[in-house]
Amino acid sequence: MAIEKTDVVIVGVGAVGGILAAELGKAGMKVIGLERGPRLTTQDFSALDELRYFQRQELRPNAKRQPVTWRPNAKSNAKPLPILNYGNQAGGGTVHYGALSWRFHEDDFRARSHTIERYGASAIPADSSLTDWPLTYADLEPFYDRAEYELGVSGKAGNLQGRKTDAGNPFEAPRRREYPLPALLPDQSGVIFTAAAQKLGYHPFSSPRAILSQPYNGRAGCTYCGFCQSFGCHMAAKSSILVTKLPEADATGNFKLLTGTMAYRVNSDNSGRVTGVSYYGADGSDNTIEADLVILATFIYDNTRLLLLSKTAKFPNGLANSSGQLGEHLMAHIGARVFVAFDDRYVNIYMGPSAQKHSLDDFNADNFDHAGMTFIRGAQLSVTPADLEAGPIGASINMNPPPGIPRWGAAYRDFLAKYFARYAAFIAQTENLPYADQTIDLDPHVRDQYGMPAPRLTYDWRRPNEVARIEFLLNKLEELGRASGAQHVWRSPTGSGAPGAHHEGGTRMGTDPKLSVVNRYGQSWDIPNLFIIGSSTFPTMSGFNPTLTIQALAYWSADAIVNRYKKNPGALV
Amino acid sequence: MSKHDSTRRSFLKRAAVGAGAVAGSGLVPDVYAQALDQHKDDAAAGASRPTSIQHGAFFNYEQAATIAAFSERLMPGAPGKAGARDTGVLNYIDLALAGAYADLQDFYRRGLAQLDAYCRATYKQPFVQLEPARQDEVITALEQGKAAGFSWPTAPEFFNVVRTHTMEGMFADPIYGGNRDFAGWRLVGFPGAQGNFTATDLQNKQTFTRAPITGLQAQAGLQAQAKVSGRTE
Repeated sequence: MAIEKTDVVIVGVGAVGGILAAELGKAGMKVIGLERGPRLTTQDFSALDELRYFQRQELRPNAKRQPVTWRPNAKSNAKPLPILNYGNQAGGGTVHYGALSWRFHEDDFRARSHTIERYGASAIPADSSLTDWPLTYADLEPFYDRAEYELGVSGKAGNLQGRKTDAGNPFEAPRRREYPLPALLPDQSGVIFTAAAQKLGYHPFSSPRAILSQPYNGRAGCTYCGFCQSFGCHMAAKSSILVTKLPEADATGNFKLLTGTMAYRVNSDNSGRVTGVSYYGADGSDNTIEADLVILATFIYDNTRLLLLSKTAKFPNGLANSSGQLGEHLMAHIGARVFVAFDDRYVNIYMGPSAQKHSLDDFNADNFDHAGMTFIRGAQLSVTPADLEAGPIGASINMNPPPGIPRWGAAYRDFLAKYFARYAAFIAQTENLPYADQTIDLDPHVRDQYGMPAPRLTYDWRRPNEVARIEFLLNKLEELGRASGAQHVWRSPTGSGAPGAHHEGGTRMGTDPKLSVVNRYGQSWDIPNLFIIGSSTFPTMSGFNPTLTIQALAYWSADAIVNRYKKNPGALV
Repeated sequence: MSKHDSTRRSFLKRAAVGAGAVAGSGLVPDVYAQALDQHKDDAAAGASRPTSIQHGAFFNYEQAATIAAFSERLMPGAPGKAGARDTGVLNYIDLALAGAYADLQDFYRRGLAQLDAYCRATYKQPFVQLEPARQDEVITALEQGKAAGFSWPTAPEFFNVVRTHTMEGMFADPIYGGNRDFAGWRLVGFPGAQGNFTATDLQNKQTFTRAPITGLQAQAGLQAQAKVSGRTE
């Protein structure tokens, strides 16, 4: 067994790990990053290949070698999920993501207090663990700003220091300055969405994305090829961690990246501190890194799984789990979707960055009055191709034909032939509430390629609050569809109760060590030299894509580690 | 030769075109179809195939003919409208099962065996010998889970995988063995691997015609050329 010593070991070098590696390395800390997948380069992405990257999911974990199982409730048997929607390489999910880069609303950070103030406590479902964050939007704003400028985000401000602008999202929280880059150009689907939304009095805008609308920091601007969500960017115009923070981390001289490695245990001693991480090398070897500071920065499944696998006599229910909260409050976005198709024009939705191209925020968070409704919180609405990716394989598999047209045969062929370049999807991405019985634990029956128990999800989004909201949103999407002038408007089925995209929870942050796993900096309440950073710490999820908030939290934690913890290692709050 | 036989013969010929592209050399579709015709009585009895004929990378003759027929009913060709046969879906699936989808070999073997048993039990004939309308009945029964006798894969599972792979064969880049001459992309109006769209393209309300359809091989060629010229400059 090889043993190596360092100041900091980071498990998972994605949206969070890349930022921590660069920032801690700059502060003179010696950092080793453990990454399960490979480190790819921009040249690796020159193949604009829908089969390879979208359909066969080459940039995501292999669902057979690294299974994750799901069951709707504790009484049913868990089965492996067919598709795993997260990253599996250096840069993590930021390599293949659609690059939506939102700041959460002010009330997203205090959803519980805000709901009680406006509607009373009875508006919150009795079984929901809805709560406030242990930090505010104002706390995080400087770090949102830093992430947008260091990474490169294109957009248009809607709220500059409290002053509403004519463009952008009028519902956004106040920002200190404009985006570093102007908004991306709309394609025809954006033009259609804008016209429909304005007709109904809503406020559409080009979605803010970490995709360069112009050259920036030595990288070229977007060429609108459309091979975006699911793909690595062949121009390096997508501001993935791979082309932004990893080169910075390299330049510090203090960062070592170990690819093809699988962390299997966080080691700890009887004094209540962690001592490092053990991992399997690419050659199957068994190795240990001894470190003063351990940072878990994997996708949410493995943050929870690693802690459960690292239990000790002192922590018999999982490392850093004296609260008993580890693995609880799993959340995921669910999509409501309506298709529109035109007989009198083309849309050519395969042009331009593919995911959630144009948006409106009128029905997100508490931006609309829920009085008299049977649900709280909302969804971000946008226009997008069938599965956030716009090639014909995606359309043929993920666009249900309208009622009366079968899924195969001559009529289906004619439907696809006529409408592939004439359709758009209007979608809602819902903010689902946290529930304590939606969990991640270890599957007792299924093991991965390393012989480790697979993460098991117990989750079903079909709660009364969520079902009522989906129906409300489908009606809004249909209304938008009719306003678009499309000759054909039809719904997509909402499917099973399985979790959708953007998972959150499992290592919840909070103000009370009895009710949360980590504090506002991602620092374990139980073990001060252990940090867990990422969407696994989100107390609630918002209707927005999580990545920019994950990155802002990474900057916020890096700042606390470099400026406070490094001088005086111990509890930060 | 009865009308039924001639239908079947021309069908097998088409199936063989797909399989022939897999073999890459030596296969004469007519010879293949004639050989199959000569052995049609054996085929009905489930006897083994002549060994002198080359075939694809994974399927045996009966399997190839069945998948060709099945996928053609899912995406039928018509004048001016490319279908599964025209685009080489059989070739795509055959190659995929020999490579990227090797873990699905038994899924297909068992799915096809169950399909065969179901057709013989219900119609006293294998799938490929049924009239197209009957084939559609069978596929509908599979899709709706009403076909008896399936255990693993279940009938809907088998239907869904063949449908998915048929779409992949229609619309994946031709480098994978289907979408012959971009016929699948032409069918739906997809311009392929375009590296950029201009601001003018983004404003276009008509079908996109500025550039020719591009695939991976052309793209790779352009990149290699750029590299070579870059070195010589």
